[in-house]
Amino acid sequence: MSIFTNRDGSRDGHHKPAGYSAFDLFRRGLLGTQWPRAWRSHDLKPSYDVVIVGGGVHGLATAYYLAANHGITDVAVLEKGYIGGGASGRNTAIIRSNYLTPEGTRFYDRSVKLYETLAADLNFNVMFSQRGHLTLAHSDSALRTSRWRAEVNKLQGVDSEVIGPEEIKKLVPYLDTSEHARYPILGALYHPPGGIIRHDAVVWGYARGADAHGAHIHQNTEVLGIEVANGRVRGVRTNRGDVAAPVVVNCTAGWSSLISEMAGVKLPITTFPLQAAVTEPVRPFLEAVIVSGTLHVYVSQTDRGELVFGASVDPFPSYSMRGSLEFTEGLAGHVLELMPSLAKLRVLRQWAGLCDMTPDFAPIMGITPVEGFYVDVGWGTYGFKAGPVSGETMAQLIATGKTPPLIAAFDLARFAEGRLVGEKGAASVGH
Amino acid sequence: MRSATVQTRMPMRLGPQPGEVIDRHRPFTFTWNGERYPAFAGDTIISALAASGERVFSRSFKYHRPRGLLTASFLDPGCVVQVNDEPNVRGSHRRVEPGMIVSAQNAWPSLRFDAKSVNRFLGRFLPPGFYYKTFIKPQRLWPAYEKVLQRFAAGGRTFPDSPHGYYDKRYAHPDIVVAGGGPAGMAAAVAAAEAGARVILVEEEYELGGHLRWGSEDELGALRELRDEVARTPGIEVLTNSVVNGRYDGNWVAILQRNLPHVEERLIKARAKVLVVAPGLIERPYVFRGNDLPGVILSTAARRLINLFAVKPGERAVVLTANADGDAAVADLERAGVEVARVEDARRGGDIIGARGRNGVRMVECGDGSRVECDLLVTATGWTAPTSLLNMAGDRPVYNPTAARFFPSRPSDDVLATGGISGDGSLDELLAHARATGQEAARRALKVGSALRAGVPRRVDVEEPPDMPPIEIPELPVVEHPELFQGRTDGIVDFSEDISSKDIVAAAKEGYDSVELMKRYTTATMGPTQGKLETVNAVAILARATGKTIEETGTTVWRPPYAPITLGALAGRNFEPVRYSPMQPWHERHGANPMVAGAWIRPEHYGDPESEARNVRENVGLIDVTPLGKLDLRGPDVPKLLNLLYVNQWNTLEVGKVRYGVMCAEDGVVLDDGVTGRLGPEHYLMTTTTSGAATVWEWIESWLQTEHPDWQVHVTPVTDAYASINIAGPKSRELLLRVAGDVDLSPEAFPYMNVRTGTVAGVEGCFMWRIGFTGELSYEVHVPAAYGLYVWEKLMDRGADLGVKPFGIQAQRILRLEKGHLIVGQDTDGLTGAYSAGLSWAIKLYKEDFIGKPELSWQSECDNSFQLVGLQPHDGSVVPPEASQIVEGENEIAGRITSSCMSPTLGRSICLGFVAPHLAEPGTSVTVLLPNGERTTARVMEYLAHFDPKGERQRG
Ligand SMILES: Cc1cc2nc3c(=O)[nH]c(=O)nc-3n(C[C@H](O)[C@H](O)[C@H](O)COP(=O)(O)OP(=O)(O)OC[C@H]3O[C@@H](n4cnc5c(N)ncnc54)[C@H](O)[C@@H]3O)c2cc1C
Repeated sequence: MSIFTNRDGSRDGHHKPAGYSAFDLFRRGLLGTQWPRAWRSHDLKPSYDVVIVGGGVHGLATAYYLAANHGITDVAVLEKGYIGGGASGRNTAIIRSNYLTPEGTRFYDRSVKLYETLAADLNFNVMFSQRGHLTLAHSDSALRTSRWRAEVNKLQGVDSEVIGPEEIKKLVPYLDTSEHARYPILGALYHPPGGIIRHDAVVWGYARGADAHGAHIHQNTEVLGIEVANGRVRGVRTNRGDVAAPVVVNCTAGWSSLISEMAGVKLPITTFPLQAAVTEPVRPFLEAVIVSGTLHVYVSQTDRGELVFGASVDPFPSYSMRGSLEFTEGLAGHVLELMPSLAKLRVLRQWAGLCDMTPDFAPIMGITPVEGFYVDVGWGTYGFKAGPVSGETMAQLIATGKTPPLIAAFDLARFAEGRLVGEKGAASVGH
Repeated sequence: MRSATVQTRMPMRLGPQPGEVIDRHRPFTFTWNGERYPAFAGDTIISALAASGERVFSRSFKYHRPRGLLTASFLDPGCVVQVNDEPNVRGSHRRVEPGMIVSAQNAWPSLRFDAKSVNRFLGRFLPPGFYYKTFIKPQRLWPAYEKVLQRFAAGGRTFPDSPHGYYDKRYAHPDIVVAGGGPAGMAAAVAAAEAGARVILVEEEYELGGHLRWGSEDELGALRELRDEVARTPGIEVLTNSVVNGRYDGNWVAILQRNLPHVEERLIKARAKVLVVAPGLIERPYVFRGNDLPGVILSTAARRLINLFAVKPGERAVVLTANADGDAAVADLERAGVEVARVEDARRGGDIIGARGRNGVRMVECGDGSRVECDLLVTATGWTAPTSLLNMAGDRPVYNPTAARFFPSRPSDDVLATGGISGDGSLDELLAHARATGQEAARRALKVGSALRAGVPRRVDVEEPPDMPPIEIPELPVVEHPELFQGRTDGIVDFSEDISSKDIVAAAKEGYDSVELMKRYTTATMGPTQGKLETVNAVAILARATGKTIEETGTTVWRPPYAPITLGALAGRNFEPVRYSPMQPWHERHGANPMVAGAWIRPEHYGDPESEARNVRENVGLIDVTPLGKLDLRGPDVPKLLNLLYVNQWNTLEVGKVRYGVMCAEDGVVLDDGVTGRLGPEHYLMTTTTSGAATVWEWIESWLQTEHPDWQVHVTPVTDAYASINIAGPKSRELLLRVAGDVDLSPEAFPYMNVRTGTVAGVEGCFMWRIGFTGELSYEVHVPAAYGLYVWEKLMDRGADLGVKPFGIQAQRILRLEKGHLIVGQDTDGLTGAYSAGLSWAIKLYKEDFIGKPELSWQSECDNSFQLVGLQPHDGSVVPPEASQIVEGENEIAGRITSSCMSPTLGRSICLGFVAPHLAEPGTSVTVLLPNGERTTARVMEYLAHFDPKGERQRG
């Protein structure tokens, strides 16, 4: 594509980062030498080939793959606060691929594959912990859905199966699998490759990788307007000055409808807060990630020993990132329904992030009516796991001008043309 | 090593102190790490251990360095212990009890010899975030590395069989909540109550008084006076050992109460008109080499130990003081018989360079390089204002370099601050500020109260008190304090996370140079003290590393809760009531097998579902369908509402008729279905699925309230106001005839899909409609709930000779499957559009508008999604389990079985299922992949119904 003038010219920005390994750790420890910056800060240039709005996992992954896979390095990622300050630093980091639709399964499966090698690819340990993912069934209808997902997943080569209460008890001795539970556990969909990841590490790893290839990461840089002329995007206005760019990518999740509005593009997105909470650390006792749709709760234990909880989105649209008391009350009640012996465990912190919900629970990715203005949005409550594959496919689209088949179903035009995807069934509380 | 005998002396216990809280007449023992220790009632776990001379209470998180007491308060990071089955107990706060079993948490194999303490020598190789930089290759070893990392997780133990315990909740509606029961909080509460407000005064510790408790004779005198005032003044509820845990929108204040005899903890939810925040100040540790050694303590810790618990903190001390509290600590130490070997006065250039020792301080290197042998180092280097409750109300703390601490910045209408958090000054100045704040809080609260009352209609006019002018709150002085955060050496900043000043500088240099990134990368401030002890030091060190001011650097956002809160307290009594129908006693007496169905428990069957089903086909059966969602709709605009909600037509429904309706969401996916009847000109009764009852109500309200607030419709959920009984079978009319009073049941007068209101078994106001989920002649009777059991028993009684029997959900499912009626949520899912569910006959695209119309219009033209069809396995003895996939070729998914059973009526297996459009033609043979891997074949049927497809039986 002609707009990328300095495709190989910008190698001057390219630098090899200090390697991360046990050996380097030892060497620097011995010599007491300082580690170099993971990413550098730069002056804002008056123009870039590609401007990415939003420094979350999606924006940074797109920048990384543009450079790493396509040699497009004159790229700026503009972040109004600090990188990972949006949903990417607030999520509960569940990764899985046991989706229901073929589009969904293919897409998320690719993402899990990318995650599996991400630490090595980025030379940054993202601590992907494939500890197994259990979706509990408390009713015969939930059990039926679990069987259905298992059957579909098996046929698509995704590892998942339905297990019974005895096996569940073996995996998670703390669960109340008795018949006396208010909502007895009848079975579960077990997905061994599912798990959790260190979300910040993914963000930082991509930032470091993108920086190493020459992309500029600008924190505290807020996009205030988008210039469009003759149906083409021309650049952005920021609190640090104007930037000209033939390509602007909207990766702002919870804020994405506001950013698109700046370019005159309306998105069918409503922003809802999603809350989460974490407890004080206790000795490890919970291996698998547990999800209960009936009780609207999911639980995992981090390597630090904290329990991380989440639920479904707040029942009303809002841009507020404050937590509510009702949320923790409901959450605690549901956790104790599942694991009654944890009453004395203490909640340490609660918070909220923003979720950009679409009508069909599937993302919006690709071109828009404004030429050069791309979107990678609509990530709702489930977009962290999609970071790598989204970056990869968005980079491919920008570099080649062709929509990769993996994301063809997720285009913006589907809302006008009535081709909704419908991942509701598999996305809901499961994240 | 100590022998296993009982420790009887308390070598560090002092003689009686004027303000002590221990009761020397109530001695007892408890267990610490397997050995028995003495204590007095009133001791905290740690004060009792300290009295016995213990100094090491835990090992640090990362380097497993020995840790002792630091603050002697709730926040004490090294004093978090296991008590019985309770993890992470704050040992410097929790009162010790006779027989308590207490143990150290983070030590292996023992506190004195900790195997992981080798980590302390490896510190230089474990910089912040070291785990991000290693264990990368080979990837396959990461799971093993991860297990090792997990071993270092700090924290206590949980047990799978710990009893739940009793927790509860309370709602409170005070005018004012005062957070903090120190002098300012007490004075504010008294002033507010005197002005006529009802006040809840909340104090984290076991008694009121704050810092006055460990003060001088004069201060103790002032404390007695204040306590008397609080006790004397009506309208103040005092909660000690309780904490204001959070302030949420609308001044919704969460208070955790721990001082109740028979309740583990109680969560009080108070809608406070005004919240007064008076938590005092938290003393800040000082950062230098060795600052985490046992024996390095804060001046407030020393004063608490001596004055409250009569415990001598050490034998020979060095004191670093920058303020009057430090000076007072020197006096206290001397009075307690501690030799004060050196006082380093920071106001005159004094400093500490480092502390040394193995399991406790042995020697301190002072600012001038001289070394002093000692076992105690007391620091008084400044304060942190715990502004988090204010921040939860939108305040942003602002740094004041003169006072070397953060202050609140934005006052709000319903949250006020007083006490140390607002400024310095003498006790009199503080109390004056607090009183004025209390009066102003009362003025505002009472004004809000009368505004609220003005909105309530009253029979007699009540004179509201006149509006008072705002009370002038005097400014508190701000006393100059040296900015002391880190000395000349590096030391621990975050004691719970084991993060040093070096780590913070290293993180900043690596690019994690904003507060938020530094916090996330190093995990400083993320531990159990929630940053209360360490934030300001961390910010100051980061500021220096990045060449910015503290003001520019700012703090992280404080989030609720104020103090960690148990799941038990948050959950309360876990109120998830089970719902039963009024007929439940009958079901239980008649051997019903219970089944959880959402919020309900209902009969699955009464022993033999197949014969129950057969009886419906042959005679007559009764099923309890009370859980069906029921909504009473009234108003002239109900038809508009129904037309919006349902895909089918509702303008033409006459009084006395019922109609089946299908609801879709905007995406055309089937949301719910049910029957709605028109009972009067402007009166309708809607039924929903059992599981959809709440969702549909919410759905309707959200459309009415947000899109059509002008429509005149009232929606009232009446699900449990009526008991619902379905009478089904060829003899159902005969049975109903025997009990129905005034309704003409003849087929001509009461045809299929009609509704009548009348008397059943003498009970007036029953609705009866003729519909047929089972495919038989049937009447659904909705009886005022109180008469449900009576009517049910009457029907059973009167129908005995007709062969009436109850049937459960399982028989109903068999019957409806024979009849080909779909169940939303079983035969449809979150993806199923109305067309693919075979509901095209119901969808009226000519209607002006309805929810889902644009999407369904498109689907009507180019839908090629799977179709719901009836299926029968060729081998009638094979019942393919539900969710079996229909496949083509090797593994191509071409559909699935959604419902299946052995039909007692037909004597063969029958199914409903989805198939790809090209397989939907009747007569097509499809391959079913069974979950066990075997394959079988099935035939696509002409109708969804396997039995009586024309519906002659139900119309009869
Ligand atoms: C509590 C919670 C739990 C979740 N759990 C999971 C889970 O378990 N698994 C999962 O897969 N997903 C989960 N998610 C969803 C997931 O976190 C998000 O979908 C994903 O992180 C979105 O990434 P992003 O990069 O698109 O957006 P973000 O990370 O939100 O990044 C957008 C960035 O844009 C910036 N920005 C906004 N406006 C501007 C502007 N004008 N100028 C410049 N920058 C701007 C923001 O500051 C922000 O940093 C969860 C979300 C939340 C809130």
